[in-house]
Amino acid sequence: MSAEDMGKTPQKLRLAFALMSVLFLVALAISPAKDALLEWKRYERQYAKFADSRAERKQLLADIQPGVDQIWIPPLGVVDRCTTCHRGINEPSLNDPSVPVVFRSHSAVPHPVSQWGCVACHRGQGRATEVPEAHETTLAWEEPLLPVRYIQASCGVCHRNELAETPLLNRGRQLLAEFNCVGCHRLQGIMRPKMIGPELTNVGTKVTRQWIYKWLKEPRTITDADGNVTVNGVENETEPRMPKFRLTEDELLALSGYLSVQRRTPVPPARFDSRSANSVQERPETVAQGEVLFRQMFCTTCHSIAITRAGQTTLIGGDVGPELTKVGSKVNADWLVAWLKNPQGYLPRSEMPRYGWSDEDLFKVTRYIQTKLTDPDLLANVPALGAPTAAETELGQWLFVQKGCSSCHAIEGVPAAAEFGPDLSGIGGKTISQLEFGQSKIPRNLIAFIQAKITDPLSVNPAARMPQYHLEPGSLEAITTALLSMTGEPQTPAGTRLEVSAAQPEFHPAGEFGKLYERYKCSVCHRFNGYGGTLAPDLSFEGSRAPRAWLVSFLKSPQTLRPTLTVRMPQLNMTDHEAGVIADYLALTLQAPEVSPGSANINEYTPQMAALGKQLYEVKYQCQSCHTIGSSGGYVGPSLSNAGNWLTPEWIEAWLRDPQKLVPGATEPRLPLPDGEVKALTAYLLTLRQSPGGNTSAGGRAQ
Amino acid sequence: MNRAALCGMAVFLGLSASSCRTAKPAAADPLAQAYATEADWNDPQHVIALNYEQAQGKRLFYTYCVWCHADSTPAGPSNRSNLNPMPPLGNDGNALNPLSDELLRNVITLGGSAMGKSALMPAWGETLSQSDVQAVIAFLRAIAAPPYVPQARPGSQYHLK
Repeated sequence: MSAEDMGKTPQKLRLAFALMSVLFLVALAISPAKDALLEWKRYERQYAKFADSRAERKQLLADIQPGVDQIWIPPLGVVDRCTTCHRGINEPSLNDPSVPVVFRSHSAVPHPVSQWGCVACHRGQGRATEVPEAHETTLAWEEPLLPVRYIQASCGVCHRNELAETPLLNRGRQLLAEFNCVGCHRLQGIMRPKMIGPELTNVGTKVTRQWIYKWLKEPRTITDADGNVTVNGVENETEPRMPKFRLTEDELLALSGYLSVQRRTPVPPARFDSRSANSVQERPETVAQGEVLFRQMFCTTCHSIAITRAGQTTLIGGDVGPELTKVGSKVNADWLVAWLKNPQGYLPRSEMPRYGWSDEDLFKVTRYIQTKLTDPDLLANVPALGAPTAAETELGQWLFVQKGCSSCHAIEGVPAAAEFGPDLSGIGGKTISQLEFGQSKIPRNLIAFIQAKITDPLSVNPAARMPQYHLEPGSLEAITTALLSMTGEPQTPAGTRLEVSAAQPEFHPAGEFGKLYERYKCSVCHRFNGYGGTLAPDLSFEGSRAPRAWLVSFLKSPQTLRPTLTVRMPQLNMTDHEAGVIADYLALTLQAPEVSPGSANINEYTPQMAALGKQLYEVKYQCQSCHTIGSSGGYVGPSLSNAGNWLTPEWIEAWLRDPQKLVPGATEPRLPLPDGEVKALTAYLLTLRQSPGGNTSAGGRAQ
Repeated sequence: MNRAALCGMAVFLGLSASSCRTAKPAAADPLAQAYATEADWNDPQHVIALNYEQAQGKRLFYTYCVWCHADSTPAGPSNRSNLNPMPPLGNDGNALNPLSDELLRNVITLGGSAMGKSALMPAWGETLSQSDVQAVIAFLRAIAAPPYVPQARPGSQYHLK
């Protein structure tokens, strides 16, 4: 083609060329335009504008690094791009509430963002660079953010031990153990509690078939709209441990029938010593005396009773043992006497101490229980039930295993079902597509799923065997947190090296003290060497704290040391010999390493020192703001009216030097006291003695 | 506190004894109940969200400080009304907002007498770490009523334009 021809290119073709060029140009522009309109770039520009508006703009602008920002920590498997939009996360100046949430800096945490990334705690999708993909569940990106109120679940993924910083997680784990979830489910790190449901081998000797029927039908105490308890005489807790099983009428008949014939060891008829026959006669004042005894023994430290005053029902008492308002209508009379005499004879693992009753006292208390703690209408709605048929008993036994009763209650000769419910050791790491929501209307997320499963299992799965638990919102949140922390095996190589909880140290005293320790169940309320209850003081170092004489007199007649405390040690009716054995053991064995017995030179505590100590106590350190002496002072610490008899000089000195060393977590502040002041304060405290009559003498010389 | 006192008096008169619980769902552990939030002390409907540091401050406050700096405590009666001079409430913005973080840190760490205030306030410096003290201050600032507004020095880098 000649050059002339080329100049004569047809009009149409030119147009086509022009069109194509424009098309190519547009096509070329799409890519950079798309790039410029990316969501994260919008945040980048916004942040630059925001930083420019701040007073510290120089600093902020200098820190900006354009492009996708990524935290890459190979040992943790962290690839987080969250800081691409959350650009102010490490800027300390951006922590006030006026800063938009996206750009606000993170508060101080033990795991800084730069070393741990974001996803390790907050979950979500670290690699995503778009808001929905990073934060929510989308079709292909299923890791949603963990709501902040459940954030402690993430601490629990690695930290299997108890951390002071995670109270909600700790409570959740404790509840998982208390409700015996491991009876049916596999849960990592949760140990089966020492006490689960009562053993039922002899339950037929304790209660009637009617009562069992009623209990199985509605185990939980009902509270009305005003929050008043309408006690059904069985369990008082707002969070009963026995869940509600949805049983049909036939199942109720069969199970109650089966359980009512469980009477392996018959209970002997209550019989009192013939020599005391005179004192166990029913008299008009017997019941009233029994009531006084019931209170004097401090049964209410562990058991509660519903009291109605002015139309309002309140539960008075502790929750270590079951509520007793209507127990007189529940248990049979002979069983009650046998139980109070020796609880372990009926339930070998019972936590109830074996009291030293006289026949007379036992008679009065049982008469009181059977006369006053009753409700004639307790079994009003229960049909008349006779002896069960063979078919009912057989069906009952089958149901006992099939419904999961045997996971919490033992009956001799009936094996517990193993691996009964689904494995929950990886529940916290499940994605939405792995969960079965059924027809339920709950939001499609893991937290809603877990909570529906606990509070209303049928809503998620109409064929569920799981019973229904009644939990308060706070406890539900705690359990959810603990379950969310169970994500199965550690996902990163670094995770495997993190600490796992140590086994609980046990305390097994031997000899005569060991027998008394078992008999009086000291560890239900007191803690010994890290093992035991928390209701009463830790006694691990009691031998260093209190002199023997004080221990003996306290055990014989327990008096509270804390003016505001309403729970008291029960009157256990110990003999002098028993109190002596316990005091000797405590004094010899339970010693604090920081306190060496007999090291204090009592000649140092002169009256002059005591006078100086009084000055320090009252003026310089104003200890009276927390401690009471006589009738004046504060309510925070224990009363010191009898400190001279109650505390050893070695303990007082060691305590003043470092309270937390002797009792971890003690509220008393550790003060930087010089040696002389420690001695002076000790000298003063040793002068505070109360005669058995109760008068405080603050002038007497320390011996 | 009143409820507890009433129950205690009405029942088991003269014998004292027995803890008192009402049937209304009671908080098992006030810390676990609401870890990351604190209800406004003057208006329980208003719930204040806490960040990590403030939440740790809440934990420490309810362990060590609540006995004298609040009118009700997890264990019942407060010791506050028993003291003279009466310590400020933890949320008392009028008293605490004018005090700088530094002064509060010193009062908590060294005690009241070291800073020319009441000797009833003990020194916590040996019991709490510096970050603990900072967390408690952060918590007090979060619940202050009237709300706390940080005092920025004019001309400092934190001062808004």
